[in-house]
Amino acid sequence: MTHAMAGGHGVPPAEPEAGRQRRPLTRLWPALPAVLVLGVLFLGSMAFMVVFSFWRTVDLDIVADWNLDNYVKFFTSPTYPGTFVKTLVMAAVVTVTCLALALPFTYFLVRYVARRWQRIVLLAVIVPFWTSYLLRVYAWQAILGERGVINQVLLSLGIIDEPTRLLSYNNVSVYIVLVYVYFPFAALALYATLERFDFGQLKAAQDLGARPDQALRHILLPQIRPGIITACIFVFIPIIGEFLTPIIVGGTQGVLIGNPVINFFRAGQITQGAAFALIIAAFVTVLLIVFRRHLQVEDVVARG
Amino acid sequence: MWSPVAERIDPLESMPVSPYARLTRRLLWVLAALVMAFLYLPIVLLVIFSFNEPRTPGLPITGLTFDWYAKALSNRVLLDAVRNSIVVAAIVAIAATVIGTMAAFALVRGGIRFPGAARVFATLPIMLPGMLLGIAILIFMRRVLDLQLSLLTVVAGHLVFTVPFVILIVAASLQGFDRNLEWAAADLGADSRRTVRHIILPLIWPSILAGALISVTLSIDEFVVTFFTVGPQLTLPIYIYTQIKFGVTPEVNAIATLMLGTTLGLIVLGMALVALRRRLRRGKEGS
Repeated sequence: MTHAMAGGHGVPPAEPEAGRQRRPLTRLWPALPAVLVLGVLFLGSMAFMVVFSFWRTVDLDIVADWNLDNYVKFFTSPTYPGTFVKTLVMAAVVTVTCLALALPFTYFLVRYVARRWQRIVLLAVIVPFWTSYLLRVYAWQAILGERGVINQVLLSLGIIDEPTRLLSYNNVSVYIVLVYVYFPFAALALYATLERFDFGQLKAAQDLGARPDQALRHILLPQIRPGIITACIFVFIPIIGEFLTPIIVGGTQGVLIGNPVINFFRAGQITQGAAFALIIAAFVTVLLIVFRRHLQVEDVVARG
Repeated sequence: MWSPVAERIDPLESMPVSPYARLTRRLLWVLAALVMAFLYLPIVLLVIFSFNEPRTPGLPITGLTFDWYAKALSNRVLLDAVRNSIVVAAIVAIAATVIGTMAAFALVRGGIRFPGAARVFATLPIMLPGMLLGIAILIFMRRVLDLQLSLLTVVAGHLVFTVPFVILIVAASLQGFDRNLEWAAADLGADSRRTVRHIILPLIWPSILAGALISVTLSIDEFVVTFFTVGPQLTLPIYIYTQIKFGVTPEVNAIATLMLGTTLGLIVLGMALVALRRRLRRGKEGS
């Protein structure tokens, strides 16, 4: 069965003596457990969620009564489309900030830091992942809050007279913490492409009369564009589904589109929540398909 | 904090130095240092609060104490949660590594017709919001299969996003694999099982190991998917979440600090072992 399907990808271009000894390294059966896990647990459960999203919840029970109300409710609601757009804006602003920080950061790292140390700095960028995400986000309350570090410093310097609330339980605190959480993804994605860049090209460009900024813009940027796009995807897309950061540091103002979804499920409104979750999922899936060439997951995670 | 730029090198020392080059480099250095401070400030605070006396982790620092460590280490619920997290992570890592590695072979070597589509499919569980996976699996387990939620459902949930990671990482290294080595092995009479064991696995084990490590890392701190699939037995992130809602005590900071210390210790140990092995090998070659 495997031979019939051979073609395209896994076949070596110039195979010596076609058809010899290609077993069983070219078989498909090893994929079976993965197909089961992803097929049943992932696709299967998604399929049921799609079905439920067209049903109704009556007294916390799911009733097989096909309708579009759950979807209609999203688009006709006075708040949810706005929250969705706000989430996209937040994701975009965080993405731009992460890039603006990660580009000079990784450029400095690759260009001016010894190779040994590059590894260690990268490791240091990843280490935060090995402590509790919840506690790290929670610690930001102690930085941004009314009695937090920033307020204490500003007060003791006499810059402000009373603690400012501009930094806690609002969009600003959500923004800061999201930049904090997603910066490492941007940095890793950019490092992966910058590392392959030959900096001699910049010198060549300058020898030929380009100003440093011209050399950066016309030589460096085009070559690291794939990394920039990968970084954008790995920051932008996860933020669309964020609900935890707003819960911990966002207060009532800082909610994102993930929060109402969670609230529906908490309130037992499963069919309604499923529809909302699927609207988000459809959006994300379209983005993933559009940018499928830049999904270098292994570049982002398998380093350091 | 430490300085990452102890031994600075410029690969292009012959480059014409514009008057701004030095300044640019200084500014970049400052920015990099600020970014590192930004990344580490919460962690430093997290650790400091584990030694701070007041019942709620936060400022001001009033006095140093080890009480929270003593309390954490005698808190049964917390310790059970830690144990559950470790058990789940271990099972998930082993299962995901085996399942994912096998699938990677099929994906790269099996002549799958639409490698691009397979790639998007494998990436979906990673990139879709965890919220969505958690909800879908919860609905499936409870409403469709009518299963009780337990640590097993948590393991199932974690497999959905760790298996794809292992597949993508191992597939990437298989793709760069020189197949002439396999054909050479076959010419020399090795059957495929021996080829896998003695040729392929030794060459790609770093990426398999990377897949396993990522699975552990992701599983042990996974909150969102666990939140939906967890039963009466808590995992550590779930315990911390209930604490955050009803008032964190520095006990969790103490546990988090211990876990961070342990991971850092393991990393240093691992690096030391690699360095030692390299030195031993070099010594052997020299003699």
